[in-house]
Amino acid sequence: MFLTLLAISGLVSVIAAASRDKLGKAVFYIAATPLAAAAVVSASWLPDNLPSSQSVSWVDNAGLIFNFAPGSFQAVVSFLVAAIGALIMVYAAGYFGNDREGTGRFAAVLSLFAASMLGLVWAGNIWTLFIFWELTSITSFLLIGHKSTKPSALQSARRALVITAGGGLCLLGGLLILAEGNASTAFTSLSAPTGATGTAAVVLIITAIATKSAQFPFHIWLPGAMDAPTPVSAYLHSATMVKAGIILLALLTPTFASSETWSTAAIAIGVITMLWGAIGALRQFDAKLILAWGTVSQLGLIVTLLGLGEPKAVFAGVSLFVAHAIFKAALFMVVGEIDIRTKTRDIRELSGLAKSMPVAFFVALVSGLSMAGIPPLLGFAAKEAAVEAVLKLEGLTLWTTGAAIIFGSVLTVAYTTRLLIGVFGSSEGRSIEVAKVRLEMTAPAAVLGTASFLGYVFIDQINTLVIEASGEINSQAELYVLYRWPGITDAFLISVAVVLAGTIVGALVSRSKVSEARALGAELVDKAVDGTIRFAGKFTRVVQHGSLPIYVVVMSLVAAASTIPFWFSLEIDGLYRYDNNAQVVLAIFIGLAALVVAFTKSRLGAVLALGFVGLGMAGLFINHGAADLALTQLLVETIIVVGFVLGFSHLSSSFPPVGRIWQEIRIVVSVLVATGVGVGLVAVSSSDVNSKPVDDFFSQSVTTGGGNNVVNVILTDMRALDTLGEVVVLAVVVVGIVALSKAVKEHKTVGVER
Amino acid sequence: MSTTLILLAAFLAGVATYLVTSRILSRILLGFVIYGHVVVIALLAAGGKAGEAPLADQTSAIDSSDPLPQALSLTAIVISFGLTLFMLALARASQLHTGTDLVEDDLEDKSIGLEESHG
Repeated sequence: MFLTLLAISGLVSVIAAASRDKLGKAVFYIAATPLAAAAVVSASWLPDNLPSSQSVSWVDNAGLIFNFAPGSFQAVVSFLVAAIGALIMVYAAGYFGNDREGTGRFAAVLSLFAASMLGLVWAGNIWTLFIFWELTSITSFLLIGHKSTKPSALQSARRALVITAGGGLCLLGGLLILAEGNASTAFTSLSAPTGATGTAAVVLIITAIATKSAQFPFHIWLPGAMDAPTPVSAYLHSATMVKAGIILLALLTPTFASSETWSTAAIAIGVITMLWGAIGALRQFDAKLILAWGTVSQLGLIVTLLGLGEPKAVFAGVSLFVAHAIFKAALFMVVGEIDIRTKTRDIRELSGLAKSMPVAFFVALVSGLSMAGIPPLLGFAAKEAAVEAVLKLEGLTLWTTGAAIIFGSVLTVAYTTRLLIGVFGSSEGRSIEVAKVRLEMTAPAAVLGTASFLGYVFIDQINTLVIEASGEINSQAELYVLYRWPGITDAFLISVAVVLAGTIVGALVSRSKVSEARALGAELVDKAVDGTIRFAGKFTRVVQHGSLPIYVVVMSLVAAASTIPFWFSLEIDGLYRYDNNAQVVLAIFIGLAALVVAFTKSRLGAVLALGFVGLGMAGLFINHGAADLALTQLLVETIIVVGFVLGFSHLSSSFPPVGRIWQEIRIVVSVLVATGVGVGLVAVSSSDVNSKPVDDFFSQSVTTGGGNNVVNVILTDMRALDTLGEVVVLAVVVVGIVALSKAVKEHKTVGVER
Repeated sequence: MSTTLILLAAFLAGVATYLVTSRILSRILLGFVIYGHVVVIALLAAGGKAGEAPLADQTSAIDSSDPLPQALSLTAIVISFGLTLFMLALARASQLHTGTDLVEDDLEDKSIGLEESHG
């Protein structure tokens, strides 16, 4: 079933890509179909009707298996991803309207992304999750850079890719460590490694989570990603991709439950992100950027809650996860609609949209209040759970983490107020023209806006889902419930104070001049990437210089260096001085002749000396008992010498002179290579090379080969196919030589005519 | 293994390296021929002690040198022979074309490195 759904999504993606832009916005309805189907299927899993797992073997011996086995938590997420995805597709149809350009490509990549995300959510083991994790990185890169003619979009896309793909590498490292100590890689049966490797795994995996879920200091890619078309921001940066890190965090929480490093790192990163994101949101004027920074902040809060690992905190984290996906997608949709209909997203220019865009106002109000945690909305119940979780904390954690969460909530209310007043509140002397309504954009936003309210109405049902889901992360979390109306409790009083304080702060800074926040580290990333590219250029200039001798020197040195490992384990037991006296004499003769080849200035002298080397070799062969080799060597050597004489006939009789320094370098390199070869051969001698030849060769040579010369029988009978190949090589060489000498002849005739 | 053969192979490898790192095309060719010798000597040395020629009717497996490395060496000799002649023809064509026996720097290679990045 999982694979079928994914395959259909893939197929739809192919159709969308193949249709180019011919289908116009209709392509989005086609793309919405498999997501709607997935949403229905996911809904059928809820509550407590989980599907049986499905496995496809990938690499048997390595134990790599595609395994899909969603638990309660993943079932909820799966429903959110699929349902919001289907709505987003409809919204995209409205967003593009009659503008056909790029629709096919956009729909194709978006449905590919949705499929990757569903695969990630359904994953039952770490490697399945990793594959889909990387796929979401790549597809989101394509989506952020969709407006491929806009330089800032390309820059942002690259930035997002560098950060998330870097996180992917960390994840790979962390998961490898994790897999090393576990027989099964299924999430349900993982146990955490201990000691230093355990810490390393934690650091790597938390880093990966931080990059994907835009946690400080990796959050910088998320504001930049707002260059993407709004459907992408609404989908990737609310419900899905940025939640991938949190999904992983949740899935691995049981594994690392006892790890201090795990929770400390998650809490630290989460708290900083929550506060920094909220402050960033207060400093923006672009409504979409306010939402982006707000998302960073909310993600930080969820990470903090899950990092705390206390049952109540986990429960609150999951509730917020659900509430956030719904209200943030709706808010992004509204901002996108405002952008399309008024041509601006700047809260300094927008005004009085409450009257001119009533539906959008209603959706934004409901979703915004849900974000701020005000009843009667789902966000209220979730925020209450979070505050209660804070009150459960004790000692230092209460005064640091707890206080930070409360303070973060105040800021959340503040930036929500600022956004709502800025966009919808009227101010004198400013009026803004509004284009006519686009139903396809308004409807999905309205659905999600209503969902925030319905979630509160049907809080018992939501409660069941959240209890099931959080029970999977921390079994004691099942004890808690979401309240529709908690009564006058401590938590409620704190909430009231938070809302009051937040509203006041928000109203104060709503239109006052604040310096616009920039993602500080973003330029650093750009510089790093540009620097890498520049370095690659410089490096290529150094390495690929075009000089053949230097290439050869480098290769020779590498070859010589490859024998270094043998240096420390040389055994000389297998060595003896010589086979017989004649061998020594012949070796000296060959060596001397080779020296002449190397150092004589006369071409003819070098060729003749080469002939002597060959003769010496023939002698060595005879001495060794290799008569056939000697015969072949003599024949070959004769032809080669003749060939050289003919080939060099047109050249001056002596070699051109060479530079002195270069010559010394060459000698050093040669000595190193000689040492390498010597060491390599001595290393070979340590295995048993002095055993006697195989008897079989001799008997079979006579019986099956029908010849007494064993070497010849090996060549023509036992290894006949090799010999045939050898003959073919020679034939090719002949053809090549003929062709080359013809080319030379033509060249000559042309030269004469000139 | 015979130390004499090992030393000879190492020495010839050094000489061949010295030759192929030259800028003069004909010297590079000479170096390649000598590399061929290095390989054959290494094969022979690895094949064990010297002995009588492996002829089934005249000797036994005990007294004979190992026939297998000899068969391998024979292939090596023939292939390096083919390679040498082909390179010789190539060098000759190149020399007649450029009028020089020197290997100039590859301008195409250089231009790749000099290309400014567009990042």
